[in-house]
Amino acid sequence: MFRNTREGLALALPAAIFSTLLFLVPVGILLSEAFRFEGGWSLQGYIDFFATPLNRTVFLRTLKLGALVAGTAAVIGYAAAFCIVNLGPRARGTVFGMVVLPLMISPVARTYAWIVILGRTGIVNEAITGLGLSDTPLRLLFTETAVFLGLLQLFLPLMIISLVSAMENIPRDVIPAARVLGASWLAVFFKVILPLTKEGLVIGGTLVFTGSLTAYITPAILGGSKVLMLETLLYQRVNVSNDFVSASVIAMILIVMSFSANLLLKKIASARS
Amino acid sequence: MNTSSRLLANWVILGLTLTFLIGPFLIIILAGASDTSYLAFPPEGLTLRWYLKVFTVESFRASFLLSMALAVFGTLAALLLGVPAAYALNRYALPGAETVRTVVAAPIIVPGIIVGLALLRYLVVPTGVTVTLALFMAHTALVLPYAVRVVSSSMHNLRADMEEAAVLLGCSRFQAFTKVVLPNIRGGVLAAFILGFVTSFNQVPVSLFLSGPGVRTLPIDMLAYMEITFDPSVAALSALLAFMSLAIVFVAERLLGFSRYV
Repeated sequence: MFRNTREGLALALPAAIFSTLLFLVPVGILLSEAFRFEGGWSLQGYIDFFATPLNRTVFLRTLKLGALVAGTAAVIGYAAAFCIVNLGPRARGTVFGMVVLPLMISPVARTYAWIVILGRTGIVNEAITGLGLSDTPLRLLFTETAVFLGLLQLFLPLMIISLVSAMENIPRDVIPAARVLGASWLAVFFKVILPLTKEGLVIGGTLVFTGSLTAYITPAILGGSKVLMLETLLYQRVNVSNDFVSASVIAMILIVMSFSANLLLKKIASARS
Repeated sequence: MNTSSRLLANWVILGLTLTFLIGPFLIIILAGASDTSYLAFPPEGLTLRWYLKVFTVESFRASFLLSMALAVFGTLAALLLGVPAAYALNRYALPGAETVRTVVAAPIIVPGIIVGLALLRYLVVPTGVTVTLALFMAHTALVLPYAVRVVSSSMHNLRADMEEAAVLLGCSRFQAFTKVVLPNIRGGVLAAFILGFVTSFNQVPVSLFLSGPGVRTLPIDMLAYMEITFDPSVAALSALLAFMSLAIVFVAERLLGFSRYV
């Protein structure tokens, strides 16, 4: 450790000042906008926002989809993570790599694939009309299901990664021991695996939930204006109706959720170390 | 359950999961090769013309170059700010170190769309800064947290006494940094560059509001293009971008064991 404070600050401050000026200040002003009303300060912007049925619907839908994606990711994640941990070291590396890989690919590309799958001339509709289940192609895009699938595909890797690293820390013999002592697989899961991987589940769940909440591309491409989520609503409010107060309210909601999730993660991380 | 059926169940679950995660890419690769003027899967006839068309669309070329420039220079700027900051946070007993850490990490917590809107409203509009410059700064701010984090963690393992020894042997502090510290954290800096590059290049929400006539990043341009055109070229372009990311990550992994740093 060097003691020369001035030198240290000279090195650290440019980054901090840059972040503050270009980031904290503009975002702060944006957030304050919803509290300004007729020259004074008030909560009117928030009251008006939640008084609009569409806004409420979008708010609840965003929470619902976030929770649904996180929940589904947890179920698939446990199954997948359990299988990955049971693999030999070589296969484990390869499979883990394949799980992580999609994270590096452009979300636009990842989401666009669902248009190919769910579109009017997509694979699902071809199959449905081909089998004679329906004469006309079904509308699968611009539905909550489409957005759900897109988000799940986007964020599932985060859950699997968190759960794999949690499961790697389960002592080897605990599960066989529980089995020998007569526990059913269900009991093993709820009494052994779940308690021992709680942290990983919380970390993965928060990442997936906040990721889904703040995703723009997936609801934009797969939901359109039929299935708005908070981010796409924000975009619409600004670009279509020039309504910066609503935009500021939405921004606050998103930041509060994202920030509390982050605090939670920090707390888990510090409790562990 | 006996061992072999357990093994089978294991692979079935993994197979389904991987199909869900990776399958869509195989589908866009093929959809981009469909010999039809609309998006079709399974592809009807195979052609490379959509893959070639991508390179002739003027707006794709312009936006690709912009995204490339933003990713390269934004990440370099973030490293220029981030490496000294990471160094200071690791080596000095700074008052307010925690505050600096929080401020620098803040861009990760705030959704990009808000950053873009805030910069448009309170930087571009009042000061007349060009959209391109605002984009550059937004991308720098976005990559900065990754730069600081990755470089910090690679600096963490480097003992301070090596530098002190270099100074005792006659190096200036700056020389000690360039001759002792920098070579040792080279891997971390490179990993931060790659992570920053990929993050910036794939970034959409930040750039959503920061676009003007002729100034659009590639993902934004793709979003705009797919609203008016339904030909397979966006699928082809998506596939090409996926290959690009994979190639970068593959090379990075081979050269420096990228995954250690992320």
